[in-house]
Amino acid sequence: MGRYYERESEYNVERKKFNDLLDLRIEMYKKYQETLIKNVKKEVSIIAAYFYFVRGSGVGDWVKQIMEEAVTKRFVHEDSSSVTSLCAAVEACLSQGIKRRALGLFKTSSTTALLHKVAKNFEAAALISKKVQEIEHTDPNRRSSSSSDSIVTSRSSSHTMSSNASLTRPSLNKKSSSSGGLMQIQLPRYLWIRLALFEKLLARIIDHLVQNSSKYYEKDALVADPDYGSILSSLLVGPCALDYTKTKTPDQYWNDPPADELVQRHRISSGHTTPPSCRKTSINFRRTLHAVSSEDNTRQNPISTKDYVESLHQNSRATLLYGKNNVLVLPKDVEEPMPGYLSLHQTPSSLIIKWTPNELMNGYVDENHDKSQFWDYALNVNFTDIVYVHCHQQGEDNGGTVILVGQDGVQRPPIHFPRGGHLLAFLSCLENGLLPHGQLDPPLWSQRGKGKVFPKLRRKGKPIRSKIDNSEESVDYVFQIINKMSHREFLLEQGLIDPESWSNSAQYMASCVQRAKLSSSSTNSSTSLKSMNLEKGSLNGKDDSTFTDNNSTFVLQKSASGESLNTVCETMKKQILSRAFYGWLAYCRHLKTVRTHLSGLVNVKIIDGEGASDGLTKEVWESLRLDDGTICFEEEIYRRTYYGSIEHTIRKEVWPFLLGHYKFSSTAVEREELDLSTKQYYETTMTEWLAVEAIVRQRDKEIMAANIAKLSSESTSGEPAPLTPSLPNEMSNDVFEDDVSIISDGEPPFIDENETLSPVVEERSIEYSSTETDPKTNKEDANENIEILNSLSPNENKITEKSEEEKLLEDIQNFVNDSISSMCFMQQRDSPDEGVGEEADSEDENTESCNKNTVLETCISKNIASVIITTNPSQDSGNQSEISNGSRSSCSQLKSFPEDEKNNGDTFTDHLQEGQRSNCISPASSQGGVYSVEILEAFSLNVHRIDKDVQRCDRNYWYFNLDNLEKLRNIMCTYIWEHLDIGYMQGMCDLVAPLLVILDDESITYACFCRLMDRLSVNFPYSGEAMDMHFANMRSLIQILDPELFELMDKNRDYTHFFFCYRWFLLDFKRELLYDDVFIVWETIWSAKFVSSAHFYLFFALALVETYRDIIIGNQMEFTEIIKFFNDMAERHDAKAVLNLARNLVVQLHSLIEDQLSTTSTTSS
Amino acid sequence: MSTKKKVLLKVIILGDSGVGKTSLMNQYVNKKFSGGYKATIGADFLTKDVMVDDRIVTMQIWDTAGQERFQSLGVAFYRGADCCVLVFDVSLPSTFKSLDSWRDEFLVQASPRDPENFPFVVLGNKIDLENRTIQSKRAQQWCQNKNNIPYFETSAKEAINVEQAFQTIAKNALAQESDQDIYNEFPDQIKLPGDNKLNNSDAGCSC
Repeated sequence: MGRYYERESEYNVERKKFNDLLDLRIEMYKKYQETLIKNVKKEVSIIAAYFYFVRGSGVGDWVKQIMEEAVTKRFVHEDSSSVTSLCAAVEACLSQGIKRRALGLFKTSSTTALLHKVAKNFEAAALISKKVQEIEHTDPNRRSSSSSDSIVTSRSSSHTMSSNASLTRPSLNKKSSSSGGLMQIQLPRYLWIRLALFEKLLARIIDHLVQNSSKYYEKDALVADPDYGSILSSLLVGPCALDYTKTKTPDQYWNDPPADELVQRHRISSGHTTPPSCRKTSINFRRTLHAVSSEDNTRQNPISTKDYVESLHQNSRATLLYGKNNVLVLPKDVEEPMPGYLSLHQTPSSLIIKWTPNELMNGYVDENHDKSQFWDYALNVNFTDIVYVHCHQQGEDNGGTVILVGQDGVQRPPIHFPRGGHLLAFLSCLENGLLPHGQLDPPLWSQRGKGKVFPKLRRKGKPIRSKIDNSEESVDYVFQIINKMSHREFLLEQGLIDPESWSNSAQYMASCVQRAKLSSSSTNSSTSLKSMNLEKGSLNGKDDSTFTDNNSTFVLQKSASGESLNTVCETMKKQILSRAFYGWLAYCRHLKTVRTHLSGLVNVKIIDGEGASDGLTKEVWESLRLDDGTICFEEEIYRRTYYGSIEHTIRKEVWPFLLGHYKFSSTAVEREELDLSTKQYYETTMTEWLAVEAIVRQRDKEIMAANIAKLSSESTSGEPAPLTPSLPNEMSNDVFEDDVSIISDGEPPFIDENETLSPVVEERSIEYSSTETDPKTNKEDANENIEILNSLSPNENKITEKSEEEKLLEDIQNFVNDSISSMCFMQQRDSPDEGVGEEADSEDENTESCNKNTVLETCISKNIASVIITTNPSQDSGNQSEISNGSRSSCSQLKSFPEDEKNNGDTFTDHLQEGQRSNCISPASSQGGVYSVEILEAFSLNVHRIDKDVQRCDRNYWYFNLDNLEKLRNIMCTYIWEHLDIGYMQGMCDLVAPLLVILDDESITYACFCRLMDRLSVNFPYSGEAMDMHFANMRSLIQILDPELFELMDKNRDYTHFFFCYRWFLLDFKRELLYDDVFIVWETIWSAKFVSSAHFYLFFALALVETYRDIIIGNQMEFTEIIKFFNDMAERHDAKAVLNLARNLVVQLHSLIEDQLSTTSTTSS
Repeated sequence: MSTKKKVLLKVIILGDSGVGKTSLMNQYVNKKFSGGYKATIGADFLTKDVMVDDRIVTMQIWDTAGQERFQSLGVAFYRGADCCVLVFDVSLPSTFKSLDSWRDEFLVQASPRDPENFPFVVLGNKIDLENRTIQSKRAQQWCQNKNNIPYFETSAKEAINVEQAFQTIAKNALAQESDQDIYNEFPDQIKLPGDNKLNNSDAGCSC
């Protein structure tokens, strides 16, 4: 160290500054070497982890561990970014401490030159050297394109990089460098290293260098170091054993890795999988509070240990001015001084001093240990808050103690520097860092040959703190921090608000808010402000008791500066003040919003889980059940379910309670009654829809038959069927239309069979009515087609009887296009199941019946595509009159039909119940219901959808054999029949399935499903808004609980959609988890309402996100990537861990909301 | 993450529920058919690298929910699409009928600059089934009327024509993509010629 000091022999400021830098560099020097080697390790480990590791390198445990880890690919692509980074790291190591003169002519590009040099003595190097030269010669253009991001590294680019990378060490010998970047680690792409790596010679070359380090390197270079050198070369053995390929395999093009690989990688690189959110809460929270008040500050606040430690290094946001390890600090409540790392950071707006206990610095790899207590000890002090720096020194060079005193007079814990001039070094760095906006007062003195020294001040009697003792025993100094940005009048002007100031920079605002907070919280603000500043001639009121004489003089001299300056300051003051005020206001509002918004998400009181982790076992359940079957202590049931889930064997019993189907207070008898009535209701409803389904089925069948007929006729005629222009139609009708879509112009209104045809029609309405006397007469009018359907029931016998009595089907069709052609169709059918062949037979009859039904013709109207269904004359239904009115009026009446239908439905039900048959399959044949076409239509549509989804629902799960799928379908159809207005939506089946699996009883499952849907139906696109609300809540939660993740998500606007959560909320995570886990999660969600939060699903979702937060952040995932990631991860989550995390998150938010106000005030002081 | 710029083609698959969108996508990307797919909820996508005219491009194939009600949510996915695949089930005429509305819906939501020439491809799926009701002629005619949309008859189950269909999809998507940026807000545009050059020089150098 001394030898560097010797070079400094002048007093000018430049030199002083530089001297400090040198000083610092020495401090950093060893650290830097460590960093370099660590870098190489890291890169190697990444390569090793991603790719196949052929041979072991035996460097250490970590390598072995990695080798045991994932083996995903056999080849490493040459252009892989991992390779590039590795090369960069190696380069950095090699260029450090290289002997300049050893390079001779090549010194412009140090390591490449080194290679050429080594090549003379070493065969392997010669080979590479030759290749490098070949490439350079054959491709001279490359030199000019150094900055392009071309994949291939050129010599010239490597040159630039290398000189950067080697800046650190050589600059020690050159005074010209005043760069602030002390630890610049570049990641260049390096030609020769690359080549050597691909040729598998790199390790040998490095080894050679290490062996002969004395020749090429300075004594203190990394390569020359006995430990580091050998580590370096052995580290590279591994990568050199790999195969590198330029051949692209398909998966290399798309190098977004599958979710698996991401998780795997994460495990490898982080060494822990536990989501950090619990541990981090307090830190996170603090950070959030700062978010508005001081942006720069926020950034300094760590999100995790790892990030925190990284933030201590040089980075883009803050310049590291000083760093020293093993600095002792005596935090409050601790008896022994603790060693830690002290660092001084320069951010754009302020100077920050940090001290971190060694436990946090060293241990960040090992997260198992709870280090949270140490966070309480860590210091993070912004120098804008500091007014005085007290220094106590024991002897000239025995180390010393620094105490920082804040504006409010509070002392920060003493910082003790070890001996060796560190105190002075620190102070000089501090002084430099304060420039240009502030300074130490009195300034440090510079002394020839020694650099900075403490100022020699005259002894002063009175002030106790600024006493100077020239004896070597004890020397105390008090430095004042003078901040030129501050003003004495600051507070006095506080009432003023200048609206113009709005346009100013956010940064100012931020820092001012901080200050405003401080001043408002300070009880004796004038005192504190007094000490803040001076220079503007505002010294008058100042009581100088704490200053030495020279201080006063010094300041007084400056006070002569002009009036104009004062005016400017005034203006600025006002602006700053108003900005501060508004900023503060906005911040408060934000907090309030968050509080009110999110407080609704958790219960006021969270019941704790003491002793409930065993869950609801059979024993507990039985012990809680009284003799009459009522259940006591329902809170206990909820609590146990929430914290420990339910034993599988009793789920069947408990679930209906949890879902609210049974009341806990109900007796066993009451429940039996409920079961019975549920069952009856269910069966009744089912009878209804089964009847309708029969109609629908029949219709489909006919359509199918007609289809086939048509197809065959088409094929025989050989004439291309005119295409019906396709219309946006509803599915079920479409099916039919297709069949009948052959258009025959000029056909008479009455057409045999189903063929009618119509050109394009825009709209169609269909009405459908049937008489009570069943075989329903249906009439349907599609714009394009006329259809006549018979309703049939499977029960043929009955039908045949009835059908002979009366059956009329009529169809009327209106063509919108020309409004001319309309048709009426009548068809009479004998039996439902007749195939195509029968149709011909029935034609005659049809014609007849058409004639009879002259009424129908009145139904034809011009422009309305309407379908009117009439019943035949014998009908006694009250609907008949309406129907026969025809035209618009009848249509409108029919449209209102659904209301009437209820009544009909009731009577229908009554009938059914009277003559209840256990077999509900053929209800429709003997008793009729009257349903509007709309209803039939809608139901038919839904049934088709249900069928499609039921077939596809969990068909690989053991439970769902054909019988059980049928049950599922029944439940689904029943529900839809009851909720035709909502209709079936995809996903509903998924919700029924787990219920059915557990309850295994149709009617109870149905009832429970209805309960479940009470909460979940709003999520379906039917209403749509609930989902947006969930997304908004998710967004707020992430914002509050994980600001770092939020930052990433918010960066991309798309994120606000949180679409990746869509399926989660829609199906309550059913698709994300395996069945066993679904059970647990569901019951937890249900019981959570009574334990902690009615919105537990949000927390579970949040926990899912948090579980993978590091992966998401680490890979900077975008909107689409997250979707893909979670889709890939479906059914592979560790549900129990996620649940635990979710429960913790509830507690976190709860405590956050409770403490918010108090915390706010705490952090601001 | 990536070391070079990639051409990313975004392809959206639309069609009624149950026509086999998920199956087609998986058959093409993973060469597998499973009888176990569930109804798609929300959206999912798979990616695959394909060689088109000697260029490697990455196809990002979006599978969507078939129920039209869910489509309003998918708007975010439509944006930036380079090609839209319309799928119907040859055994279910209704699914064929819906093609029109799917196409219109897409054009409205994605609002490409030149809707007339936006590349669609129609796939008639499930030709392995016996009860086929939509004949090729009919489908072809529909496609012709819509500005000559390419039409393929496929079977995801038996991997018939799937590869060919998607090859065409990729090709058309790429043509569309390189034409110009069809969406105003299309992010970082990729210049194809530059990319080519890069590839060439890459080949000439050993690193």
